[in-house]
Amino acid sequence: MIDSSLSSLGAKVVVAASSDENHPPENIIDGNTSTFWTSTGMFPQEFIIRFAESTQISAVTVDSYNVKQLKIEKNTSPNASQFESVTEQELKRTEGHLQSNTILLNGSNATHLRFIITSGYDHFVSVHRVSVQNVQT
Amino acid sequence: MVKLRARCLLVGDAAVGKSALSHMFHSDGTLFQKNYSMTAGVELLMKCVQIPETSDSVELYIIDSAGKQTLVDACEKMWGEPSLLFLVFDLTSEPSFASCSHWMERVRAHCGDLQLPGVLVGNKSDLSARREVEASVAQHWAQSRGLDYHETSAKEMENCEAPLLGLARTFHALYQDHRDTIQNLGPG
Ligand SMILES: Nc1nc2c(ncn2[C@@H]2O[C@H](COP(=O)(O)OP(=O)(O)O)[C@@H](O)[C@H]2O)c(=O)[nH]1
Ligand SMILES: [Mg+2]
Repeated sequence: MIDSSLSSLGAKVVVAASSDENHPPENIIDGNTSTFWTSTGMFPQEFIIRFAESTQISAVTVDSYNVKQLKIEKNTSPNASQFESVTEQELKRTEGHLQSNTILLNGSNATHLRFIITSGYDHFVSVHRVSVQNVQT
Repeated sequence: MVKLRARCLLVGDAAVGKSALSHMFHSDGTLFQKNYSMTAGVELLMKCVQIPETSDSVELYIIDSAGKQTLVDACEKMWGEPSLLFLVFDLTSEPSFASCSHWMERVRAHCGDLQLPGVLVGNKSDLSARREVEASVAQHWAQSRGLDYHETSAKEMENCEAPLLGLARTFHALYQDHRDTIQNLGPG
């Protein structure tokens, strides 16, 4: 399987409250875990990934640091609105290396995935990569 | 350029000067920006503090809780998960200093996994003849709890920016530590 970054497949990060211009939200989908988006204080934090076209997703892998409570929502609409809840998880704390969590989405169809970080293990959290495993067609 | 955001809880006994301190900058456009709301005993103020010698700034969302016991329970619901502690006592009132441990515990209970840096402020330094709390005692107490200590007079507008700048600098330093840490992380 070719490991393409989401951005090379035409995906975009459409919303992210981010305020460090050296670490923009695009770093989430560049396929590289050494670049990252970081929050700059307070919870909740959220970002939305928009796919170039409606995509059947079997699983999503999130590489992050200090994220505690993570909610994922999705929709199948062309707009970033009317999301339905997919899952809510408490991620394990890691030290010295990234959190890497694969979350099964059971082949759901989506045009947007919304990630809401409701709490962290520190005042600041970072997301280094989100990658998606598509259902083979 | 970085813009940080911190939720800052302003607590202490009634009448120590919390509201006087938080309103200090109403007329000063650089520090005071918006007065969001006044609800059941809670006032939310936003101040943007520039970190000297950088292009970075910290927006402090200051939650001023009424010190009256009857209102504190209502206020606690508005506290959320605080980032910073702004703890005030009255230099002319030993009991208001004695209450500080209680306030600190009360706020800590809302912090979950987060550490709670902040400042201890002895206010009403203009009333020097009535002083009941020695600077060295307050300083020592603050240090043992990881807080920076400042003395202010909201009345004489003395040293009132120092606590805010201290809070902003502390949060900014935490952010830099965080960024250094994640730049050196291994893969998951
Ligand atoms: N002399 C003096 N009086 C002050 C000072 N700061 C506040 N006060 C007075 O103390 C009283 C209580 O102040 P307030 O800000 O309402 O206290 P809060 O209940 O902690 O918000 C008011 O009468 C203020 O005018 C100060 O620095 N010096
Ligand atoms: Mg990246």
